[in-house]
Amino acid sequence: MLVKRLQPMISHARRNYVELMFQVMGRALQAISEVDETTRKETRALPDGFLFEMQVMPNGPKLIVEHTGDGLLHYHSNGAPRAVDLSIQFKHITHAFLVLSFQEKTSVAFANDRMLVDGDVSLAVRMTRVLNRLESFILPKLVAQRAVKEYPADLHLPEKLMSAARIYLKVATHFVETVRA
Amino acid sequence: MTNKYYEFFCPVKVIAGKAALEHIPYELSGLAAKRPMIITDKGVRAAGLLNPVIAACEESGLEIVSIFDDVPPDSSTTVVRDIARVYRKEKCDSIIAIGGGSAIDTGKAVNILVSEGGDDIAKYSGAGVLKHPLKPFFVVPTTAGTGSEVTSVAVISDEKKGVKLPFTSSFLLPNAAIIDPRMTLTLPPHITAATAMDAMTHAVESFTCMAKNPLSDAYATAAVKKVSRSLLGVMDNPKDEDGRLELAQASTMAGIAFSNSMVGLVHSLGHATGAICHLPHGLCMSLYLPYVLEFNLESIREPLGELLLYLEGPEVYSATPAARRAEASISAIRKLRDALYKRCELPRTLKETGKVLESQLEAIAKMALDDGSIMFNPKEVSLEDALSVLRRAWA
Ligand SMILES: [Fe+2]
Repeated sequence: MLVKRLQPMISHARRNYVELMFQVMGRALQAISEVDETTRKETRALPDGFLFEMQVMPNGPKLIVEHTGDGLLHYHSNGAPRAVDLSIQFKHITHAFLVLSFQEKTSVAFANDRMLVDGDVSLAVRMTRVLNRLESFILPKLVAQRAVKEYPADLHLPEKLMSAARIYLKVATHFVETVRA
Repeated sequence: MTNKYYEFFCPVKVIAGKAALEHIPYELSGLAAKRPMIITDKGVRAAGLLNPVIAACEESGLEIVSIFDDVPPDSSTTVVRDIARVYRKEKCDSIIAIGGGSAIDTGKAVNILVSEGGDDIAKYSGAGVLKHPLKPFFVVPTTAGTGSEVTSVAVISDEKKGVKLPFTSSFLLPNAAIIDPRMTLTLPPHITAATAMDAMTHAVESFTCMAKNPLSDAYATAAVKKVSRSLLGVMDNPKDEDGRLELAQASTMAGIAFSNSMVGLVHSLGHATGAICHLPHGLCMSLYLPYVLEFNLESIREPLGELLLYLEGPEVYSATPAARRAEASISAIRKLRDALYKRCELPRTLKETGKVLESQLEAIAKMALDDGSIMFNPKEVSLEDALSVLRRAWA
């Protein structure tokens, strides 16, 4: 009985969480591309105007960023201005939730067939590295180790820029604990 | 590991063993196919390998309507379009691909065009584009290595744009893979060795990389055991039909394993080296395998140690302390490579290939980092890491 009544609440909460995390990540991607040379080294190889999307299938929340040149990423909060070039798609909101709540590493999610790549695989590999970099930036080290294969040794945190994201994350972590219980 | 999840899929009927080719007519008729087209290459035809297939069909009153025997080693969109035209003109209704990776990939791509329509194969590039089953499609591998007969991927180059187009769909899988020892009996020694080491690498990587799962593990260990037991025997006695069949089955099993659990850094480096230095794929696999295992060692100690049982057998396994088994597995692979070097000079280092310049290592490392398979390597790989593996593989 209780399960039946709780289920819609949990799934609603998950959806909100995934949407929120996509927003946090979108802004954070733009921010680290402005301050972090290691990130820019990766993103410079993307074509100018390249649109990257992460989406929950079939029509769930999405995150869209554009490479505007010289490694800089721009977050499109109102959807894609045109057809995207590369899309990483979660098969279900539950899988997106697992990854975005750092219960499953991005690389593990790929290995576990949780998500699909539509577009150039080598660019997807590159974007995965950027996402790993992002996660190790915005997450407390303990959580980040769970989210990425290896925690980079050379992190110099641009504290100010990331503090906003961290606040989001505190909210988010709280959220996870509530939903998981 | 409460989040452990996996998928495993292999709907290919495997028809293997003595006189397997003679089952083709029956299998075709089971799919209501009456007008098969053969897609192959000049080498296969010159080796006389088409004869038993054609004879098997004729004896059952089944006519091979068309034979295309000009698949190049690196198949292209133009070749695919041309073959599809012949297929339509001759009103064929099924495809038999006979050969190695290129002929099989070409067969898969032609099947897309003749089933879905059109002349432009590029339109179907990517993952999950196909939504319907294709025409009856059989594969007869003539090398024992690539495992392409059980993978849902094809790669075709677009010469005009100078890019390689990937196609991924479970509909690319053939209805049946026919493994007949007659087809690999005449493989020259260095190709036998290189392709068997490709199969070995598929098995070892799928057993040690991130997407390993219980079902692919079973196929991987069986494949490692078959290659370890049979390869040197076949090198010494190429006409050994039983040994040839063991290697061919190992290749298919390793193919099933890696198509479900993917490969890692050996393949990333191998793909890059193939593209830059034009070295055969199997050779690159054999070359890089021990160096990559050494790099991954601390992340894969347990599974790699388990492989010792399949590489060296129960006596050596039980005589080796658990803490030393992973290293012993690497030594076993090195020993096998030395034995192959003695028999056919299969290179063990980049220097021994005579085709790689030290100045190319950086370009290889950079390209390897963008290869899809690196995602599944159990250890994160930086540019420095890739370079240091390459330097160790140099000499
Ligand atoms: Fe391979």
